[in-house]
Amino acid sequence: MSLRVMSGVVVAVLVLAVIFVFMGSGLDFDYIIPKRLERLAGILIGGVCVALSSIVFQTLVNNRILTPAIMGYEAVYLMWQAMLLLILGTHGMAALGVGLNFLMSSFLILIYSWAMHRWLLSQGRRDVYQLLLVGLVLTMVLGTFTQFVQLRISPGEFSVFQNLSYTSFNRAQPETLLYAFLAVLAVCVVGYRYLSELDVLLLGREQAVSLGVNEPQRIRLYMALIAILVAVSTSLIGPTAFLGIFIANITYAITKSRLHRHTLPLGSVVAVIIFITAQLLVERLFNYKTTVSILVNLVCGAYFLMLMVRVRTTL
Amino acid sequence: MISVENLCKEYADKTVLASANAAFPVGCITSLIGPNGAGKSTLLMMMAGLIKPVSGSVFFDGVPVGDIPVADYARKVATLRQSPGFNLRLKVHELVAFGRFPYSKGALSAHDRQVIDDSIAFLSLEHLRNAFIDELSGGQRQMAFLAMTIAQQTPVLLLDEPLNNLDMKHAVQIMQALRRLCDEQGRTVILVIHDINFAANYSDHIVALKSGAIHFNGPVYDAVTETLLSDLYELDFEIINSKRGRVCDYFTPVLENENEVDG
Repeated sequence: MSLRVMSGVVVAVLVLAVIFVFMGSGLDFDYIIPKRLERLAGILIGGVCVALSSIVFQTLVNNRILTPAIMGYEAVYLMWQAMLLLILGTHGMAALGVGLNFLMSSFLILIYSWAMHRWLLSQGRRDVYQLLLVGLVLTMVLGTFTQFVQLRISPGEFSVFQNLSYTSFNRAQPETLLYAFLAVLAVCVVGYRYLSELDVLLLGREQAVSLGVNEPQRIRLYMALIAILVAVSTSLIGPTAFLGIFIANITYAITKSRLHRHTLPLGSVVAVIIFITAQLLVERLFNYKTTVSILVNLVCGAYFLMLMVRVRTTL
Repeated sequence: MISVENLCKEYADKTVLASANAAFPVGCITSLIGPNGAGKSTLLMMMAGLIKPVSGSVFFDGVPVGDIPVADYARKVATLRQSPGFNLRLKVHELVAFGRFPYSKGALSAHDRQVIDDSIAFLSLEHLRNAFIDELSGGQRQMAFLAMTIAQQTPVLLLDEPLNNLDMKHAVQIMQALRRLCDEQGRTVILVIHDINFAANYSDHIVALKSGAIHFNGPVYDAVTETLLSDLYELDFEIINSKRGRVCDYFTPVLENENEVDG
């Protein structure tokens, strides 16, 4: 990846961010701009989480059409939100506060992933595919359970639940943003240490071991880091489901490389560009009549198909 | 240098390898031969540290391999698995650069670059240096992977069926390259091979396996005999000594009790 591409996308992010914060704000520094800065911070942290977790996850499972959503992390989040609504109702949810809900959902996702990794990755002979299979089955089981809970809640509570099940940057608050930022920072510091070993893992498990990578340990470490990123992003901006697929694959197409020192920074920037653009469109053009997830799926899906048709090569 | 003692491997209730003992001569090509399911690849993968034995140990310079950290072992023993499935867009020289990972940890030095160039030149792959791996033919791809393994600069190379799916020309090129690795650089090459004629003409040492046990372990001259091979493969063999070497003919078995079959 050339320096030109990277500087190009960084400039694009800055321009978009300035437009997002200042367009039509009347330079109101008391309310409008601080609120927009909160959303922008949510987009930045959420984008970095989604991009890093998706790209690293695709490396670990050696598959370009999966995201960590398949492990059932988001299903745990949704079930927890549905349970909260059933037990506490909308008033109780409001009383609980966004900050506490953020911490509790993150904590639950981490417990879930810890239990699953401990169960399936601790014995040496078990592999990543078994983890994926169990994750997929648990996603469905939890999803069904959530549907069952949905039937028990009132229509008003259901509309609250539906809002929580979409990706949205409006939930971000200074308190949750701070927790999220610290968590992402810690993940980046720890993950950076073995960044080059991730490249070797692209060659497959056996080749990686032959080249001196302690594969079981690295898989455990990076799966844990991914769980933290997903817990943070899901609690912060809601489930992103398969948005990560587009972000990762668009990144591979732009970098024409799978080396993580290229894909991880560019992927984060790409995710932020996509999220800011989608949020701008939702706010300005559609006036909140559609959601970020729907917009991103539509536009990125079309772009991705175009890439596939036009560039007929493996990336 | 590398040896195995009482090595056993079982999958569920099936014993794949039972109490294998062998020492592999240094600076030689050793071929692991035998019928399918004899335990050849299992033995090689345990030596590579990719499969854990149920009991017994692999020793490198007298140290049990389980006691050597993975990162250190990668500077002693390089492994190439059969026909790696590949969906990555990498250039040949980028793939070969991965061979330097045990030393460089991703940041290539001038010396690393020199070794990469030498490995590519060793296999005469200069013209493919900037080609993408997924656009190469099977034979060229295998050569590129071999170049990566050579760039790892380990005293021992383990190759699992390196001639799989290759045409005759590429197969000969690979075997000649392995011969030169031993003769010119003194490396030890251990490979699993199915073509008995390549094994007979290129290796120094043969380890034959049958039903999970070591059937024969000795120099190639003693291994390539009609009795031993017939017994090993349960096929009728004829060894023909030609000017260029020995040819094992097993293609048209002579049925000993043909009359009885007819009757």
